[in-house]
Parts: sequence; C-alpha cells; structure tokens
Amino acid sequence: MAATNAKHAQDKTFAYIENPSLIHPGWKLLIPAPEDAARLVAEYRAATTPKRGGTLVVGLRGPVLTLDPADYRDRITETVLRNIFDGLVTRTVKNEVVLELAESATLIDPTTWEFKLKKGVTFHNGEPLTAEDVKFTFDRIITEGGIEYPEKHTAARKGLIAPLQSVEIMDDYTVRFHLSAPWPVFMQMLVHQQIVPKDYFEQVGTKGFIEHPIGAGPFKFVEGKLSEQIVLERYENYYGGANDLPPVGPAFVDRVIFKILPEDATRVAALQAGEVNIIQSVPAHMIPVLQEDPNIVVKTCGGTRPHFMEVNVKQAPLNDVRVRKALNYAVDVRTLIDKLYGGRATVLPGPLSPFNNFVDKTLKPYGYDPAKAKALLAEAGYAGGFSLVIDVDATSKDLAEAIAGQLRNVGIDASVRVWDWAVLRPLLLAGERQATVSSWGDSAFDPVGYMEAKWHTYVEGSTYGRGNYSQYSNPRVDELIKAGEVETDVAKRHEIYNEAQRIIWDEAPCVFLFVPQEVEACTANVMNWQPSPDSRINLHDVWLK
Amino acid sequence: MRAVKVLERILITIPIMLGVATIVFLFMRLTPGDPVDIMMGEAGFVSEGEIENLRREFHLDKPLWQQWLLFVGGALRGNLGNSYTQKQPVAALIAERLPATVELALGALLFALIIAVPIGILSAVKQYSLIDRLSMAGAFVGISLPAFWLGIMAILIFSVKLKWLPVAGRIDYQAGLKVITGFYVLDSLLTGNTQALVSSLKHLVLPSASLGAAMAAIVARVLRSSMVEVLRQDYITLARAKGQHEFWVVMRHALRNALIPTVTVVGLQTGVLLGGNMIVETVFGWPGLGRLAVSAIYARDFPLVQGVVMVYAFTYVAANLLVDILYTYLNPKITF
Repeated sequence: MAATNAKHAQDKTFAYIENPSLIHPGWKLLIPAPEDAARLVAEYRAATTPKRGGTLVVGLRGPVLTLDPADYRDRITETVLRNIFDGLVTRTVKNEVVLELAESATLIDPTTWEFKLKKGVTFHNGEPLTAEDVKFTFDRIITEGGIEYPEKHTAARKGLIAPLQSVEIMDDYTVRFHLSAPWPVFMQMLVHQQIVPKDYFEQVGTKGFIEHPIGAGPFKFVEGKLSEQIVLERYENYYGGANDLPPVGPAFVDRVIFKILPEDATRVAALQAGEVNIIQSVPAHMIPVLQEDPNIVVKTCGGTRPHFMEVNVKQAPLNDVRVRKALNYAVDVRTLIDKLYGGRATVLPGPLSPFNNFVDKTLKPYGYDPAKAKALLAEAGYAGGFSLVIDVDATSKDLAEAIAGQLRNVGIDASVRVWDWAVLRPLLLAGERQATVSSWGDSAFDPVGYMEAKWHTYVEGSTYGRGNYSQYSNPRVDELIKAGEVETDVAKRHEIYNEAQRIIWDEAPCVFLFVPQEVEACTANVMNWQPSPDSRINLHDVWLK
Repeated sequence: MRAVKVLERILITIPIMLGVATIVFLFMRLTPGDPVDIMMGEAGFVSEGEIENLRREFHLDKPLWQQWLLFVGGALRGNLGNSYTQKQPVAALIAERLPATVELALGALLFALIIAVPIGILSAVKQYSLIDRLSMAGAFVGISLPAFWLGIMAILIFSVKLKWLPVAGRIDYQAGLKVITGFYVLDSLLTGNTQALVSSLKHLVLPSASLGAAMAAIVARVLRSSMVEVLRQDYITLARAKGQHEFWVVMRHALRNALIPTVTVVGLQTGVLLGGNMIVETVFGWPGLGRLAVSAIYARDFPLVQGVVMVYAFTYVAANLLVDILYTYLNPKITF
C-alpha cells in the first residue's frame, strides 16, 4: 500500500489507496521488489511499535458547548468529553459495542440490565469508581430538573436514554438499570453516557465541575476555554480502557490540545503548517491538495449521512408514484458522486444506509436510466415534463443544482432556491415546499431513531417524522417502525425493517442518493488513529512517531 | 466636556441599549426557526414532553410581552439570562470572550493607523505624485478586498509557505501564560513572560492586519482629502510665509486641523472593528464575541444574541462619546 501510494505521487496511473480493505478491480498497484519489501516491513514494524510522549493537537470544526457530560446534545462536545470520561460501554470504529468500565453486562429480564463494574478503576483525583458514582451519574440525567446550574433544568442528555426509569445499587460494584419497556438499542445508546464522580461533584457543584471536570477517562483536564482550546494530559493511573480495544493501558501521548477552528480553509492550513495533527471534516475539494502533501495522510471511513432529494408526495404531480420513480431513474447518482465528492461516497440502495446493520441487502439502487424515466413520465401524463422547485440550504446548493441539471435532461423544468435551514425546515415539515435535498444522520448501528425521524408520519413535537420532509405517510410503515422499537428478537427485527424498507423503496418518496464518506486528515507522524463513523476522535490508542 | 455632560451621555446609553435589545428581541422571534427544534438537531431520540419542557424552561410558552418583561426586568437588574445551548449565564460567556475581541480590535486599530496616517499625509503633501496615485490605488484595493479572502491568503503565504506566523488561535499553550485580565498581551507584560508576549503578538499580526486593512484604506483616504483641503487654507500660507520648516507646517498646523474628520471616521470604524469582526474571528479561530454571536444566531440562542447585541450597541455609543470628547481637545472652540 505504502509503495503504491509513493508511486502515485510520481505517476498518476497508479492508484492511491486510502483504505487497504477497499481495493477496486482495475486499479494499478505496485508490487515492491524483495529488498524494498524488507525495508517496508521494517518501517511497518517501527510504525506499529507504540511510542510514548509528545503533544497531539486536534483541530475541531465547531465549539465545545460544555464540559458536563450530562448536558449537551452535539457530537463535537462528545468528542472532547469522551477523552476525559469513560462510560460503562463504548463502540469500536466498526460500530460494535464493547465493555469499557463494565466488566460484564447481563440482561436479567427484558427491562432489566445488570452491570458488574471493573475493580481498581479510579477517577483523576484518585477516588475509586463504584456503583454509587454510576447511580449518581444517571440520577442527574433522568431526574426532572436534575441540574441546578445556572438555573434548575433537566439534563439535555435525558432524551438519549428516555426509557431508563432507575438505577439500583446491588453492591459496591454491581448496578441494575430498570427500563420502562424493552429497548433493543439500550446498549448502543449507553455508549453516549459517561460516568462522573459523585463525591467530587457534590463537593464542587455543577459550576465547579464544568470549570474543572474530573472523569475516569484516559486524559485528565488541565485547563481550557471552551471557545479557544482545551488542554488535557495523560492520566497515568488509567485502568486501560476497553479490553476489546487494544492496546490496553495508559494513553501514549503526554498531552492533547483541542483547538476550535471553525473555518475549513484555516483548519486545512493549520494542518499543512503542522500546527495541528488531526482535523475533522475535510471539504471534498481540498482532498487532492492534501493527498499531494507527503506530510499529511487523508483517512476516510463509511459516513453516517444518507442524502436524499425528498419530494412532497401530497402535491401533484409528485403524488404519482410513477413520477417519483421517474425522478429516481433520471438522476445519475454515480456521476454526482464522482464530480462532487471525488468518488468518496456510496450509492444508497434504499432508505437505510448500506452500512446499517439492518439494511435490506436484497434492495438495489434504481440506477440511471433516462429512457425509462421518460417512459414513466409519459405514462403518468407528463411527457412534456413539469416544473419543479428544489428548496435547499447553502450546504446542499451545489448538489441540488447538479440534480436539477440532470432532471432538465429528461424534460423536467427544475430550479433551485437557497434558504437558511432554520427558515426552510418548518416550511418543509408543513408541506409547503415541492422538494428539497437534505441528509439525516443514520448512526448506522440500528434503524431505531433514524426510521422514526425520517419515514414515520410527522407528529408535531415528537420524535416521529422530525426529518420527514416528503410528507410521506404509510400506516403500515408506521406500524412496522413502532414494532421495531420494542422487538428484542434480532431475526424478527430484520424482517420488520426489511418490509418497511421495501415499501419505502417502492413508494419512492425521495430520490435515493448516496452516503458520503467521512474525510479526516492527520499529519504523517500520527500513528494508529482511525476516523470513526460517529466522528468521535478517540486518542487513547494514538501515538506520535 | 464637563463631567456632568459625560455622565449624561453615559446614562443615555442604557435606554439605547435596551431599545436595540428590544428590536433584536423582536426580530429574533419573528425570524423563522425554533431554538428548541434546532437544539434537538437530528436526535432520533426525543423523549415524550422533552420539547414542551424545554419550551417552558426557556419561557417560550409565554406570550411575547411576558417574555419581553422577563428579559427587560432581568436586564435592568444586570441579569442577561442564560444561554440555551451553553447552559451558562450570558454575562459570563460575554465576559470570557470580550477581551479577545477588544484585543483584536486594538491590534487592528493600531495596524490601520500605522499604515494610514503616514500614507494619508504623504499623499496629500505630494498630491498627484506617483506615491499619491499608488497609495490611493492601494487604498481602493484595501477597501474592496473581502476580509475573509485577505485572511486566508495571509495564512497561506505567511503561515503555510513562509512559516513566519501562526495560522490561528491567540497564544501557544507552551508559553505558559497565567491569565489575569484576559488580554493576553497585557497579561504577558504583567507576569513578565517574554515567551508569552512574543507568542501573543505573533498571533495578533495576521488577524489585526486582515481586520484593519479596510479601515486603513478608509482612514488614509479621509486623511488625505482633509489634508489637501487644509493645506490650501490661508493660515498654512501664513505659516510658510513666516519661514517655518515645511515639516512643522504639515505636522503642527495642517495635521491637527485635518484630524477632526479623521477622528470621526476612526471612531465610527472602531465600532465596526468591535462589531464587524465575525468573519476575521472565524477565519483565524479567534475566540471572540463575533464568533459567539454567529453561533448564537444560527442556534437561535435568543438570550445570547440579545446580550451580544447590547454589548455592540454599547461599544458604538462609547466610541462616539470618546470621539466627542476628543473633539474638544483637538478644537477648543467646540463645546457641548
């Protein structure tokens, strides 16, 4: 791989490999000579032997909102906090849940989980982590008005673990979680809750805690302003983290600094200048520049954001399924991916991301077929086309214009208007627009949460239909989505979600587009770092060459 | 200006700030976009009643006039409310970021004056010369260049290619600055930390230049035209006739009189520097008020937007007041 990439720099006919497990047929690769191979192996060995020390700087794309693990809803904050705090469980880059602070997890009955905690785990102040701390952490989150600063309010993270009723202490290292109903995604959602120390918290209060947080994670908080930079240092007495995520033990780097760099161009420049080691969200048009730079490595992973062009299924002519199918045939998704994303996206087969554990593998993308599109339009009585206005926010403008161009090729008079998203969203939900191009995060491990928001009938003020911009409403799909929420049998859940996906695919309330890959980049001296689909940056296992 | 007058002018800023904040209060609420909905983001997990609870917590369930009374009542007692998204008092969030913004504005002001004053004088004295034409063309370019483009170009040249100056941020953590006032240059001086002083000054150069470029251009043009005007006056001819050296004619007689319109422009522009730096702060990862305002507007974080706008209103009024006070020194004939 290294040899081929080195050759790519001189000769563009050779492929550039980003992900060794993704090599496409037809790529030109370089097979090294024996002596080169031996050198490469030696280099590889050196590169795979962890080294302690150094300061690692991460460029974040947005602000960190708080240092209280109970009181935020965004991913960037989570990225920082999960290097300071650990949870009972965590997730691998492949979306599997593994135990972190917990030694075992047992489902006692459909609504009760029992966790045994690892012994010998300490917080950064040296206090041991026990069942008391776990109960305290979750009580703060689930109690109405459980947070007292700056005024009494309920934890923002409560909604992420709503079915949790209570946490019961069995002994110092055993807790039971009681749920209001069976909840198949409980373990996946528990990943997003981190444990805080009860004694320290009660001593300093919420205000004191967010000024100087203490957790049981691999790095301890040193100092920082949320708007500027946050400095962490290795916690020497770290218990080691998840057993299933080697290497287990204290972190390798001495110090981690998170810098807030909201402007894409600045983040990329800071990486090129060597001021930061890892950056999030590399814009597609900057990838080629970074790939040319020998000091920078671009890394990608399967993304979590399916993109769609949703059409209002309540309005003529889009209420005719033939017209909606025609749109799917008229859009050349492959070309969009190549031209706008440099090939870094995967075609959506249907409503779920192809990386989702519950994707119906029998579904195939509609595919580009303009003749069929024209035939379907003619059949529906729109041989002469119709006019279509696509309303989008600025981030989707280029994509929407490219789609509009393709639609014009089959005779549809498509145009694009740009709005502030916060203005457009209510109009879409009210069914006052014809079409939009948007994306919605599909965390990829389970359809729960995503299906509710995206394909259930819109119910104001609830989870249901929060992202349903097509006015789509099918009672059978609603029924299936509700059934999937509480079914605990995995095979049955597959059946339920497969049926829902097939109905949605067939009724085509949208043009199924693609899932772009997450593109992140690091300096060449950053070792053993992989971007993760949930955009978390786990620095425990990373070292600097 | 008499102290009573100054006090009066300071007191009148209170109704001005409240008026501005009320307009912002109304406009934010008239703008489509629901703060609670935005806060929930794409959460597929919105628990029963969570949205209504948040609405109640933020008092968004109350009629507009009640919300306004709560806001004004709090503001008059010095309580600007709590940020929806950051779960902190608005005043604390502003206090944390204000020094960064003021430091950057002062840096930009200094940059603009260092560039503009010599150019303005020189091009007036040597009117229609090559220097004059070049510098006025330069000023035209300076006004026309968008700050974000200038900023990114400066980063690419001075940071990425030449590696002379840092890309972004306010200081290197390694400099070990102990923060006292939040003004890093001042703090470095107070603690006698040379490394921090060098680091904070280096971090200031590019953002100050990007922010100050437009102001430098405007000030240079204004100073030039008023200098040209003044140099034609009889008293200048008289001063020359008395045999004074041309240097002193320009500096003592002409410049002082040409400064009045310039000071007005500088005062107004200082307000712009403090309030219009969102883009420069974003480009340079500068943790100031502008960036706070932008993210608050996108999140429809009403209390935070209102608080920041009140600070902006105050700085405008204060800058104008300072200009008026300066007038009385520049021209003793002006009284209030």
